[in-house]
Amino acid sequence: MDVTISLVPETIMEIGEFPITNTFLMTVVVSVGIIIGSFIFSKRQKLVPRGFQNVAEYVLESLLGLVDGVTGNRKQSRRFFPIVATIFIFVIFSNWIGLLPGMGTVGVEQIHHGEEILVSFIRSPSADLNMTAAIAIFAVIAAQVMGIAAIGMRKYAGKFFVSPFKKPYFIGTFVGLLEIISEFAKMISFSFRLFGNIFAGEVLLLVMLALVPLFVPLPFLFLEVFVGFIQALVFAMLTLVFFKMAAEAH
Amino acid sequence: MSDLLSSLGIDWRLFSAQLINFSILLLILYKFAYKPVLKMLDDRTGKIEKGLADAEESQKKLKEIEQKEKEVLIEAKKQAKEIIKKAEDQAQVNKEDFVKIAQEESDKIVEKAKKVAGEEKEKMVADVKSKISVLVATAVEKIVDEKMNDTKDAQIINEVIS
Repeated sequence: MDVTISLVPETIMEIGEFPITNTFLMTVVVSVGIIIGSFIFSKRQKLVPRGFQNVAEYVLESLLGLVDGVTGNRKQSRRFFPIVATIFIFVIFSNWIGLLPGMGTVGVEQIHHGEEILVSFIRSPSADLNMTAAIAIFAVIAAQVMGIAAIGMRKYAGKFFVSPFKKPYFIGTFVGLLEIISEFAKMISFSFRLFGNIFAGEVLLLVMLALVPLFVPLPFLFLEVFVGFIQALVFAMLTLVFFKMAAEAH
Repeated sequence: MSDLLSSLGIDWRLFSAQLINFSILLLILYKFAYKPVLKMLDDRTGKIEKGLADAEESQKKLKEIEQKEKEVLIEAKKQAKEIIKKAEDQAQVNKEDFVKIAQEESDKIVEKAKKVAGEEKEKMVADVKSKISVLVATAVEKIVDEKMNDTKDAQIINEVIS
């Protein structure tokens, strides 16, 4: 069994001009799943929680506790919480859906470069730079908005654009420039961290499955479940920290 | 640059689709998951705070009630003492009154008895006198053996007796 590994998500079909890749398909599946879950959650809300509601409430409460721990301020937590929680929930399910059985085996046959290869339906959305970059840019832009909302346009812009005629003179201006660069670096580090981790995990699992199909991939599967959780948490926590930093005046 | 991006799989169509997807997810989760949970947490916090406040309030009230109870008890004891004292005083007065009334009553009775006895005595004396007068009249009649007229007879007897 030969393994084909592609950095770029494979296109399953095209609707008009729009290419449907396997990662995009999985993004839709994950999103629909989460949306259905949230509907069920909101429909069945009772004062005494049980079952699914209990789990969902527990997760959201712990996330809120985490946000509270960083902001130390309930009002600010309320502003940060939706984006941070959505990132966590979306990323963790994106990471995990790539671990479903059928990854790399269920799919459509396609001809690439004169060779027939199997294009799997299941590929983690996080193993697609489009998705990670989209969330990363969303998070960084949201951080700018949070900063402006918290301390005002003038003060927030003052973090980046410092007059060279003020006290630390050119050093201040230079630091401001670095801050601007760091905002872009955040986007890149965000997107490549998640992409790299999950893509590497998928490759690792594919390779292990190809080498020894039984039992041996199991520890790696568990490892990937853990990595999926950790990466989602890291993404959410870093977003939260950037929000907090943006909302803090110098 | 665009070569690099496309070799990494970045496609602006997919990228914007992902961005839109994430925004939709955020909105829906906000509406259906975060809002209710935040509201519920607020409610819960409110309830707990209210419960604590209520507990404190009731504690305070309980203390107040205890204080009041003590005051009322002290007051009641005081009043009871007063009432008992009053009753005793009243009893004392009553007793004196009774004794006085009894005294008076007995005095009256004694007086009445005396009066009755005096009258009785007078009556008896009168009775005796009349009887004696008759007796004397018969005796004198017998002795004198002559009948005088009634008026003279009575006059004489009266003179004798008195």
